[in-house]
Amino acid sequence: MNLQLTGEQEEFRLTARKFLEAEAPLSAVRELFEDANGFDSAFWSQAADLGWTSAFVPEQYGGGTLSGRSGSDAVIIAEEMGRVVAPGPFLPSNVVATAVAAAGSVDQKTELLPRIAAGSTVATWALAEPGGVWSQTEPDIQAVADVTSGRVVLTGTKSYVESAAVADLFLVTARTGEGLTQVLVPAGAPGLKVLPCRSLDITRRFGSVSLDGVSLPESAVLGTAAGAGPMVERQLQVALALQCAETVGACDSAFTSTVDFARDRYAFGRPIASFQAIKHRIADMLQWLEFSKAIVDTATEAVDEERSDAGELVSIAKAYAGDRCLDIVDDCVQISGGIGVTWEHDVHLFSRRIAVNRALFGSPDQHRERLCCLLERNESL
Amino acid sequence: VTEDLIHFRSRARAFIEANLPRQGEEHQLTDHVIQAQIFDAGFAGIAFPAEYGGAGLTLDHQRVFYEETDGHVTPQGFGVSIAMLGATLLDFGSEELKARHLPNILRGDELWIQLLSEPNGGSDMAGALTKLSRDGDTYVLTGSKMWSSGARRADFGMCLARTDFEAPKHRGLSMVAVPLQGTPGVTIDTILQSTSVPGDFCTEFFDDVVLPVANLIGDENQGWAVAQRLLFHERNATAGISHGLGLMGSRSNEGSDHIASGALFRGARRRGLGGDPVLRQRIAESHVEHVVSMAARTRIMTGLQTGAFEGQWGSLLKLHIGENSPRHAKAALSVWGPDGVIWEGNELVSGSVGEQFLGSRGISIAGGTNEMQRNIVAERLLGLPREPSIDRDLPFSEVLRLRRHGPA
Repeated sequence: MNLQLTGEQEEFRLTARKFLEAEAPLSAVRELFEDANGFDSAFWSQAADLGWTSAFVPEQYGGGTLSGRSGSDAVIIAEEMGRVVAPGPFLPSNVVATAVAAAGSVDQKTELLPRIAAGSTVATWALAEPGGVWSQTEPDIQAVADVTSGRVVLTGTKSYVESAAVADLFLVTARTGEGLTQVLVPAGAPGLKVLPCRSLDITRRFGSVSLDGVSLPESAVLGTAAGAGPMVERQLQVALALQCAETVGACDSAFTSTVDFARDRYAFGRPIASFQAIKHRIADMLQWLEFSKAIVDTATEAVDEERSDAGELVSIAKAYAGDRCLDIVDDCVQISGGIGVTWEHDVHLFSRRIAVNRALFGSPDQHRERLCCLLERNESL
Repeated sequence: VTEDLIHFRSRARAFIEANLPRQGEEHQLTDHVIQAQIFDAGFAGIAFPAEYGGAGLTLDHQRVFYEETDGHVTPQGFGVSIAMLGATLLDFGSEELKARHLPNILRGDELWIQLLSEPNGGSDMAGALTKLSRDGDTYVLTGSKMWSSGARRADFGMCLARTDFEAPKHRGLSMVAVPLQGTPGVTIDTILQSTSVPGDFCTEFFDDVVLPVANLIGDENQGWAVAQRLLFHERNATAGISHGLGLMGSRSNEGSDHIASGALFRGARRRGLGGDPVLRQRIAESHVEHVVSMAARTRIMTGLQTGAFEGQWGSLLKLHIGENSPRHAKAALSVWGPDGVIWEGNELVSGSVGEQFLGSRGISIAGGTNEMQRNIVAERLLGLPREPSIDRDLPFSEVLRLRRHGPA
């Protein structure tokens, strides 16, 4: 939604849009409803070829950015995916790439990044825990990473892990004493069990991951044991920027078709869009939508620049776009009338994606509380 | 070749550092003196053509100057005159009017205001009843205008009046410049607002006021187009994308990101409720709306500059301010509780959150109500069809007859 994309970024958007139109039209997305994994691996590998998993991977490891700004590139794809509620483990792959690129050892980077960038390794982030509880500015982490005598042992339960059933690699965020430790756990590690979960979304699958004394060599730790707090915050920021961009893309799509419908639909001898009861609602929706686009771009810029206000801005983006976009798509259903609550109408596809996004990585309410804590920390009020 | 923004910024900064006092610093300069200084240095009306006293640059340059004034004392009270009336005069005024008045407006030597709404109608501006009749070499103005801010201090008002009662409502209007001070037949009253604070709002009465024909702005019966343009400039100015220093007068007056939420936190803590989860949600909501609106302003300015947006996108910002101002005032009422509406002693205290609440609807009504902004957004930005109009194509005299007697 950025109004100042580079020429290359515009090309990138166009290519992604054409690819999605051909490979993931809404009719195809609907078919994936029955699919256990929610996406096709050939589709995902093509998407990776188009650079969807490259933005956060340094060039030397097979990635690269178009603009020099990873977030600015990646949100283009997030928006385009949102526009057609596309399948694929886009967000978790990019977040894990961010973490490995920033905190990984040379071995970890050499081994993992080229495969994540190529889409041959599906990586996902196991952050949240049952209930999605937060305290103050971050999710509650109860899972424990015990780091002793050259081994790291993980115990606990992680929830709402995207594409858990097909993931090759889990980035597990756990607690070591007062600090956080992140561990790269391969699928199939003894003691790791995935319970697949369906979601409201048509294509997006999740899983609960139980860690029953998963023991790995210490080299599986990403970054410093008990010192991962700042990296987790950075991953959260990237996740929120991508998630909110996708939400806004989905919302934009639903809004545009609803406005077209209101223009065409006749009742009482005129288009329903001519009634102020409808057009005033649409005006409010456009205001919320444009403001959502604005804050997502502003937050993404702060994340790209690793600014000190990035944490605050992503929370503002989630608090605003998370709630407003749900209101918009909900109004889209209302304006569509009876057909809007049927399976055959497409608007529910967007409602589903937006509702699921809203619930993950902190709800708007949790981000408002986080914002209060950040504001209190940042200044003497 | 237009001066590049980086060069302009350093030139602007040098002038500002050397001439505008820092906020909080003692100084003896009046607003008018500061405005004149800015004008004399070539920084008033930066996007106005040089022949009318401007700098012949762009609104980007204007914005840069505005940004650089942050933290400095800036002249207050010239925003309407420059960003709205001056801008409209530039678009529609005759050579004679532009040459005579624009330099004075930019220097702050002349204050202009708008005279649009009437006691009979605000939103339905095209239903104006004030009459402008040609009488040989002059016009005669009769009627009254209302809700005009600053009329007591203003030198000129841009007045929308009816020149043809037989034409349909939008096609019989003209815009005319009315000198307000000491003009025979002009009476100005102040309106006391609900806050009990004597506001800036006025009502003006025009009893056979004689005006030169040269005071016409735009052609006779083309006043609606001029009025539309004036409202366009008003919305942009309200949204902070305009000539001069905008309606706020300075960036510092926009309120820094934390002022609003900071005051709310203080209010909650005063009552021992700083940890109250419900109040914290409201405080955060206020902060979120504020920060998002700043981001939206930047987005819309960028869109207008790059051509991604065309037309009245300022209305989206105006709609948000109009919705958010009462919402924020109500959040403050929640946070402050009884302390926001009851205080010790017998003195009338101004500036309480209760008083802010009473005044907070001003911005959702003034400058085009929220409902009018929604019409503009829906019809002009999205191209949605208008509501059918029953008076649009009738001669205005017939509209008046229907109002008096009902349909035949």
